[in-house]
Amino acid sequence: MAASSPPGRAGRAQQVAWVLAALVAILYPIPFEQSGYVYYETVGFLVLLNAMLGIGWNIIGGWAGQFDFGPNIFFATGAYTAALLSIHFGWNAWLALLGAVVVSVIICAAVTYPITRLRGHYFAIATVAMWMIAQPIGATWELINGSRGLFLPVATGGGFVHGMLTMEFAGRGKGLGFYYLALVLFALTVWGARAAERSKLGFYFRAVRDDQEGAEGIGIDSRLYKVIARCLMAAIFAAGGVLYCFWALAVFPDQVLEVNWNILPMMAAVVGGLGRLWGPVLGSIILIPISQLMTATLGAGPLAGRGIDLIIYGAVIMLIAGWRPNGLLSLPWERWAARLLGRAPAQPVKS
Amino acid sequence: MTLFLQAVADGLQMGLLYALVAVGLTIIWGLMEMINFAHGEFMMLGMFGAWGLSVSLGWDPLVSMVPLAVIMYGAGVLVYRLLMRRVQRGEIFTQIFATVGLFFFIQNGAVAVFTSDYRFVEKSWLTGLSGAHITLGDVRIGVPLLVGGLIALALFLILYLLIDRTDFGLALQATSEDRDAAMLVGIRPQRMYAVAWGLGTALVAIAGVILANFFAVYPQAGLSFTVLAYAIVALGGFGSILGTLMAALVVGVVQSVTAAYLPPAFKDAFVFGSYILIGLLRPQGLFGRF
Repeated sequence: MAASSPPGRAGRAQQVAWVLAALVAILYPIPFEQSGYVYYETVGFLVLLNAMLGIGWNIIGGWAGQFDFGPNIFFATGAYTAALLSIHFGWNAWLALLGAVVVSVIICAAVTYPITRLRGHYFAIATVAMWMIAQPIGATWELINGSRGLFLPVATGGGFVHGMLTMEFAGRGKGLGFYYLALVLFALTVWGARAAERSKLGFYFRAVRDDQEGAEGIGIDSRLYKVIARCLMAAIFAAGGVLYCFWALAVFPDQVLEVNWNILPMMAAVVGGLGRLWGPVLGSIILIPISQLMTATLGAGPLAGRGIDLIIYGAVIMLIAGWRPNGLLSLPWERWAARLLGRAPAQPVKS
Repeated sequence: MTLFLQAVADGLQMGLLYALVAVGLTIIWGLMEMINFAHGEFMMLGMFGAWGLSVSLGWDPLVSMVPLAVIMYGAGVLVYRLLMRRVQRGEIFTQIFATVGLFFFIQNGAVAVFTSDYRFVEKSWLTGLSGAHITLGDVRIGVPLLVGGLIALALFLILYLLIDRTDFGLALQATSEDRDAAMLVGIRPQRMYAVAWGLGTALVAIAGVILANFFAVYPQAGLSFTVLAYAIVALGGFGSILGTLMAALVVGVVQSVTAAYLPPAFKDAFVFGSYILIGLLRPQGLFGRF
């Protein structure tokens, strides 16, 4: 990387940029709350939710290099566990979230350990197979009410703080409340993923991805670290599922096992830049508004429900895979920025 | 016991059709070692082709099989030349993503054009035979499925001879064994890969045309067949054409026997479960040579 300014200045510029980004994230819903366009709060909620899931998928797909095409089974596990704990035992939402994460991680470890013997696309197909197995289970299991789904009670009152503590918002405050709930979980995810990336764990994951035999040669148990990577992903997906179930106030098997919970986080990671911490965030900021915009504009027209957004996603994935497989963040932004500001980079960067 | 034998007989017939779905993947994935997650989508296009020609021109699927196979051969070559050639030598994940993108593109393109409604090929020679059956002991074998299975078997044998007994097939195998060495003896690898994609695509489209006689035609028909085909190729051992046939028969029987005793929703679950099991216990496949 060619940094044209001394490290101190660049560091400060970066700090300013982070503070600005955080401010934008925190203040984003305020104007919409004031003006009543609460729909955009929901868009923000979905961006944060998918960015969070994307970071989770990036751990297994980007860092550990194992492609999981069925992560939504843990999204569903989280949503169902939290709903059951909340309905039958009256657990507080945050406690239920904790329970859901624990249950999902245990299930993930149990089902993932056997398939870590499979590599590359064999592993990928095994995850698809698990998703296919989960679908009839979700639709027929009586404990979770089969395809009739589970319903959560609608909140009757309580202010913003009460809502943040219980994930229940009555009336119009819901959009705002869930935006901030998603922001909290998103921030926790970023913090956790950043810590994991810089710890030994992150290096082990990448070692397993880049050279499994070599990693095993220096004593890294590749199967164990693949399981850990998928369990981290499962924890994040479970938390996302919990958030979703309290937002939707209902859990249906075809909704929580929907293909979008597989494809959007994965797309976000790939579009932004596979294996980069902020890749999924950038991808999500780009993709989710597009998909919402298309749903909104096509909503009443003859093309509604025809999967136009998925056609475009498909084309985007093909283009990125064929022409820029390392994602948007891999483009030489710094060089372009320097050129735009009229400064030549200190040394030519070969891309 | 009769129930069991009946299930086995049904399963064997379905297995022949599955073999035809899977053999295209054997060529692309098993032999040429390229991923294609859009495999079932080409089958779905074949089904829609059969339905479209049957509704608009009144062609029997067994007739429209020929032009559709030619068209889909071209489509496969095109996909290779425009997309897959770019991602072929990069990291494996680019291939996975390119074909997952293709999968979404084709499936939802079909949703946009045809909607997700179920459609049926109503007038065809095979559906006209629907009452006819042969009785063996207590087991009834329906003639339409039997004929479909026999067509599949015939195509399968032609393919086997093509790959295993002709110079062209040897060139294909040589390319998959060692691309650079194949180039030295005058084989053009790019052309071989393009032909393999064309063949694989045409075969799965033919499978779709035959299946359109028995199954509803709708845009989401492909995915479960894709996973099934992967399971079959993995079970059969890569690149082994006859292994694919055996594995497809096994899968067909497993599916119909579980369907006979358990709720139908679980019939695929058991097939995929057995894929995971075999992948763990016998990674070289049931009939793999190495």
